[in-house]
Amino acid sequence: MANKVSSLQNRKNQKRRFIFLFLLPTLICFFLFYFYSVVTIFLTSFAKWDYTNLNNPQFLGFGKLFENYRYVFQEYPFFKEALINSIRWAIIGVVIQVPLALSVAITLSKKLKGWKLSRNLYIVPSIISSAAMGLIFLQIYNPNYGVVNQVIQLFNPGFKDSVLLTPGLNIVAMTCAYIFFAGASTIMILGQIFAIPQEIQEAAILDNITGWRREWYITIPMIKETIKTVSIMAATSGFLLYNEVFFLTNGAAGTKSISFIIRELAVSSSRTQYARANTIGVIQIIGGMLIIVCINILFKERRKAKGVRG
Amino acid sequence: MNANINGISKKGRILIYGYMLVTIIISIFPIAWIFLSSLKADPMANPGISLPTDFTLEGYINVFTKLHVFTYFWNSFKVVSISVIISIIMISMSSYVIARMEFRGKKLVTSMLYSTLFIPATAMTFPVYRLVNTLGIYNTPVALIFVYSCSGIAMSFFIIKNYFEIIPKELEEAAEIDGATYAQTFWKVMLPIARPGILTAAVLAFINNWNEYYWASMLVIDKNELTVPALLGQFTTSFNTNYNGLFSAIVVIVLPPIILFAFTSKYFIEALGGGAVKG
Repeated sequence: MANKVSSLQNRKNQKRRFIFLFLLPTLICFFLFYFYSVVTIFLTSFAKWDYTNLNNPQFLGFGKLFENYRYVFQEYPFFKEALINSIRWAIIGVVIQVPLALSVAITLSKKLKGWKLSRNLYIVPSIISSAAMGLIFLQIYNPNYGVVNQVIQLFNPGFKDSVLLTPGLNIVAMTCAYIFFAGASTIMILGQIFAIPQEIQEAAILDNITGWRREWYITIPMIKETIKTVSIMAATSGFLLYNEVFFLTNGAAGTKSISFIIRELAVSSSRTQYARANTIGVIQIIGGMLIIVCINILFKERRKAKGVRG
Repeated sequence: MNANINGISKKGRILIYGYMLVTIIISIFPIAWIFLSSLKADPMANPGISLPTDFTLEGYINVFTKLHVFTYFWNSFKVVSISVIISIIMISMSSYVIARMEFRGKKLVTSMLYSTLFIPATAMTFPVYRLVNTLGIYNTPVALIFVYSCSGIAMSFFIIKNYFEIIPKELEEAAEIDGATYAQTFWKVMLPIARPGILTAAVLAFINNWNEYYWASMLVIDKNELTVPALLGQFTTSFNTNYNGLFSAIVVIVLPPIILFAFTSKYFIEALGGGAVKG
């Protein structure tokens, strides 16, 4: 009896040790990589810390607690530009990429002949690194041997400028370099469309809801959660855009993004401003959270409006 | 019956095919154009969309003989495969414990792992850069192995945990009656069953890390240790006017992920489609 109790106790201890040991590597990774970094950027956003005092960041003091934030918003020349661009790319992601992914997924879901081949071809650009796609589009936009200038010259023979150095136009060009390649989102949505029970589709036919109306009234409401997830992903990746900026313009002609200026301040610049880079990092994290809140509100409102109408 | 359920008229069919065609042309065009241009000896002579008048393969030969592209493929492969193995083993262990066992603080650990999803890599630029320097691994492949092992854990966790959750309880109980320790149950019983989920997460992590540019271009600067995306970052200036060489190099570099996708598309599509895509 005593033996059995002790063996049970033993087993319990074993289990506890097992749980601890199996969680340990992940916890180390979490604390070393994520927790340390986030706490650091948050705390040092209230410090003076730049290339002059790399090894001893100094607390700004309570009187000037938000000095870095004030500097970033009011004095740092590129912050406004970067913030506007990043917000723009976040909105474009939701407005263009999500409807595109949704419409492609719906057409694929009809399973017409050749749909699998179409799906796989459509995914290909999403498999390639955005670094490579950026480099490819840099060639496409080249004014001397690229494609875009050739096309523009059909309408405007005198056009010899670089698209990427024309303010305003360059934002459009950069957006076009990634916005159409929504393979991952499309596959996520397609998976959910296929998961809709067949009975619901049959019931819709009995109710004489056919054609495109069925997509609008049955399919889209059924996969709303996934559309929300995809919207958050599209907005976030637009907000964090870096590779396209680096490869296409390297931040020239008003195309800097938040991620770009963080790296500029933290690493690339000759007068590195660690605390201010971290300050923008804090703003970036908060911005990412705001995006999630906004999209949640957006999707909630829709449901309410529908409820009232129904 | 099938046609009836889909309810697509002839007009709708034409519309769908037309739309598909346009989207596919848009997605294939950049790669097709780069390939076409890589065959031109001088892209300046016949620019834009035009067939090569002076066909050449010299660029491709140079990619292997002068650029030594295999060095960079090997660098990438080394870094990416080691980090995928580390991160997948690590996440398999923790997601198993979280999916199958009760313990205090489980909710906290779960939400900690999910919270990493909301921390953009770029926001952590300086702390990670400094950490890598402090650990003395800056400018070595170990720096990238470290960063890649830690990134993307929320995604892998989500996929693998879902697989562990659907395994029936009886299997664990049977193993326990047979006197297996917890570790044995995990390695010999549970892990093989969850293999599809683990492979799915691994393929996704592999492609993500293979394509990663931000850290790759920052943490390693030694030309001989660069990964493929970081090498691409140097192409913006290093080719000068050798456009044929540049185009050929891009084509060779984008091929491996496409080939990998051709063989693993099932896992890839399953991972993103939530396992609902059949066949």
